Amino acid sequence: MLSLYRCLLYLYPAAYRYEYGEEMAGVFCEGLSDVRSETWRKGLLPRAVFLLREFTGLFHGAIEERWRAIATSHSWLSIPARRFTMHSEFRFPKATPVLMAVILAGVMLTIEKATAIEDSLPYSNPQLPPIHAEHFTFFPAMAAIFLSACTMAVIGWAVLFALRRSGVHRLSEMPVAPPQN
Amino acid sequence: MDVPPLTEPVLLILLSLAGQPRHGYSILKDVEQLSDGRVTLSTGTLYGALRRLLEDGWIERFDEEDSSRGRQAYRLTPAGRRNLQFEASRLKHLARIANLRVARKGI
Repeated sequence: MLSLYRCLLYLYPAAYRYEYGEEMAGVFCEGLSDVRSETWRKGLLPRAVFLLREFTGLFHGAIEERWRAIATSHSWLSIPARRFTMHSEFRFPKATPVLMAVILAGVMLTIEKATAIEDSLPYSNPQLPPIHAEHFTFFPAMAAIFLSACTMAVIGWAVLFALRRSGVHRLSEMPVAPPQN
Repeated sequence: MDVPPLTEPVLLILLSLAGQPRHGYSILKDVEQLSDGRVTLSTGTLYGALRRLLEDGWIERFDEEDSSRGRQAYRLTPAGRRNLQFEASRLKHLARIANLRVARKGI
């Protein structure tokens, strides 16, 4: 029964489970052993009532905590800093889309300017054929570049998130043992 | 003082901690005893309330010294005790009004 309880604790947000999960399992265990001792005297009813109350409370609490996590943070994926003391470079910076948009605008302006210069050229050298600008579909190409940049950013962020969840970043925080003489 | 009225389970948890610091299971049992068996909290409800009280700074958590299991115990903070006193006086005032009105109705 304790294993089932521990499994159901996974319904709670990770940070909450990390903070209170063990304690809750301990309290449940104490309650269960109390009820087991009562079972000899009062039958199975107290045990059934206890389990019903505990599992209902667990589901109710999990829904509440999940809702709270959604309501208090902008993203349900965010983990409180108490659990993960992340370095800033591990976080997906909010300014990244803005920065990407600025870079993209810069690239677009540069291409536009280059096209204008290219159009103004007389093409006096017959050895060099002119670039066929009509074949260059400007906006779809830009959209494709933007989409691939976004995809790469999301993949990068996902890798960093996976590393963060795995606790790799904590390796740098591990105390180094003094050298043995 | 602007303290919202407390729910019965939260009030009972605070009352339980007002006497002495307690760990989770001890709070559950004491709440049951305080309410004459009327209120029986589940572990999920208890820890949800404890989390809120911890966040609000009404209670604090510490390691039990004499426990081999390294359990965490909870105790009231000075702010929590102040708020509990305020709630108690609010309830007292409410009870006085209720008594007066019930008595007047009886006449």
